[in-house]
Amino acid sequence: MASVSRENLIKWAPLLVLVALVILFTAINPTFFSVRNFSRIAVSSAPALMVAIGVTFIIVMGSIDLSMEGTVTLTAVLFAYLFVALGGTLAGLGSLAIPITLVIGAVIGAINGLVHVKLRIPSFMASLAMGFIGTGAGILLTGGDIVKVSDPVFRGLLTLRFLGFPMMVYVAVLGLLVAWFIQRYTILGRNFYAVGGGEDLAHASGVNVARVRILGFGLAGAFYALAAILVVGRIGQAESISGANFMFVSITSVVVGGVALWGGIGGVWNALIGVLIVGVINNGMVVIGLPDFMQQGVLGALVILSVVLSTDRFSTAFVK
Amino acid sequence: MSTFIKDFIERETISRRNFILTSAVGMGAMLIPGLDGSARAALKDPAIAWSYRDRASAYWNSIVSGGEAFVESIGKQKGELVSLINEGSSEKSLADIKAFIAKNNGNCAIAADCNDSPNARPVVEAVKTAGAYVSTIWNKTDDLHPWDFGDNYVSHMTWSDVEPAAQTAKILFEAMGGEGGVVHLGGIAANNPAIERLAGLKKAAEDYPKIEILDAQPADWDTQKGAALMSSFLTRYGDKIKGVHCANDNIAYGVIEALRAEGIEDMPIVAYDGNPDAVKLVMEGKLLATVFTNPHWGGGISAALAYYAATGAFKPSEEPNEHREFYGPTILISQKDAADFKAKYMDETPKYDWKDFWSPTRGQIKYSG
Repeated sequence: MASVSRENLIKWAPLLVLVALVILFTAINPTFFSVRNFSRIAVSSAPALMVAIGVTFIIVMGSIDLSMEGTVTLTAVLFAYLFVALGGTLAGLGSLAIPITLVIGAVIGAINGLVHVKLRIPSFMASLAMGFIGTGAGILLTGGDIVKVSDPVFRGLLTLRFLGFPMMVYVAVLGLLVAWFIQRYTILGRNFYAVGGGEDLAHASGVNVARVRILGFGLAGAFYALAAILVVGRIGQAESISGANFMFVSITSVVVGGVALWGGIGGVWNALIGVLIVGVINNGMVVIGLPDFMQQGVLGALVILSVVLSTDRFSTAFVK
Repeated sequence: MSTFIKDFIERETISRRNFILTSAVGMGAMLIPGLDGSARAALKDPAIAWSYRDRASAYWNSIVSGGEAFVESIGKQKGELVSLINEGSSEKSLADIKAFIAKNNGNCAIAADCNDSPNARPVVEAVKTAGAYVSTIWNKTDDLHPWDFGDNYVSHMTWSDVEPAAQTAKILFEAMGGEGGVVHLGGIAANNPAIERLAGLKKAAEDYPKIEILDAQPADWDTQKGAALMSSFLTRYGDKIKGVHCANDNIAYGVIEALRAEGIEDMPIVAYDGNPDAVKLVMEGKLLATVFTNPHWGGGISAALAYYAATGAFKPSEEPNEHREFYGPTILISQKDAADFKAKYMDETPKYDWKDFWSPTRGQIKYSG
């Protein structure tokens, strides 16, 4: 058994925060603690988890990616159009829309990375601009209309359940495992940490930093596209605001989960815990009947509290 | 006294003197008609613009399509209607309108939603100063009235949502058999339509003692937030929820999906806005009712009012107050009339007489308090 050192405490702090929140909400309203409610939290967290995983890779590299809203919007809209154009059912050619969308997401991400690396624009600015382009393209494509996807097989993501949880939750878990595999067992995954831990050192050790960065953004883009498919699966439609709100939710989750914004620390499990913390807070506040005008404030306060508890701020010289 | 303080006082005195002098010149100018352009006679072929939030919603697209239908009715091309898109920023709204006025040297007619209420006054004042013409919708403060600006502030139209929201609530309560719990999923809490639509629900509930409003929380007009909030409501209230009152169609789409995930297909739900997808859902029986505010007509008639006032086809200051500030049309769409509605408004866009300014309107705006 590991000793209760300060290091260990900090490592497990996000999970402890999550458990504490679950106990708190259950104590106030016992219906919170039920499979049905957990599946509701899981459904609303699944797309956010995919976005958070994508941005985790970027943050681990010490960069930041703010393109998620635009990328999710654009890939959601493209997916919906493709799916409908290819016959509109998952049982037929429509299933091709899924891999095509993932590739489109990866390409958008790679362009994002290229702009950042080749034009030497800070990732913050390059990705923000790419996000605007994505949202703009989404508006251009839809003209403000809603694209409906009502194929019952595809909507099985939401309506079909196994052990009480809809299929989209299992898709998200699969995405998480793939991300964990990439992070743990591939050279690319380990290079993210090398770059985030010390870019100069990584470069001196022969890591092609530019290539790692571009691939990282491409990988993030593919996960944003997966999030977009889950969004369409959850609400049965794509529109020019399909990606709205994902920036706040994903970045907050990643930080609350214990991934350090200065890079090199944390990983996809932290993203999972972070997304669950934010999902539990959002659901729990309604379930315990907190007045709506207090919810935003309480969410902010809990986020700060979670970050305080779950990041090792003493090991860094400064916070920027 | 240090030189710094001395210099400072001297500078301030001079600037105050300049200020008083400039003010005097300004006030003098106001007394001389014509100098500032506001008393200019009717305009010839004014440029036409619509200032609105964005192209990302069916609502504003409808507004613009109405504006385009109007400019075509006077023999112009669609593209001659200039879109001034404020992206939800009042500063951009005002800056764009000022730029449009300057470009056309005041020879223009503008229809606008000023984005928020306080922004309406600077917009109207800029238009008045340049001798242009403006009609507004939705946002203005209660103390700002078209009749205080002569002819240049042509009209203001808004929609009262309390009554229509109460009507949808009644339809909902009847479908519930007059008893049980209702949840309300609202718009952005501080938005006027969100407040009015909730007020409508509460008003209707007064006549139904066995109806209980379990909860009302904002879903920010958004489908995904609507779905997440409905899920949370299900955990909190479970089977006590017998009906759902939504502040707009988009929220209702999310509610339907959240319920579908739980295998609940027959929950009575009402919505608002009358978007095409919602009308289809009413026809399919997934929604009981929605409310249409005819944005196409609103977009066309606001541009038409500003344009015809500018050309002198009518003189706003000679019109009664109910022709200057009025409520726009609202049409309740329930299951019995959804098919008729679709045939009349969706399958083809009705042709409107853009000189018939007021017959679809619903009386002068009343202010409370």
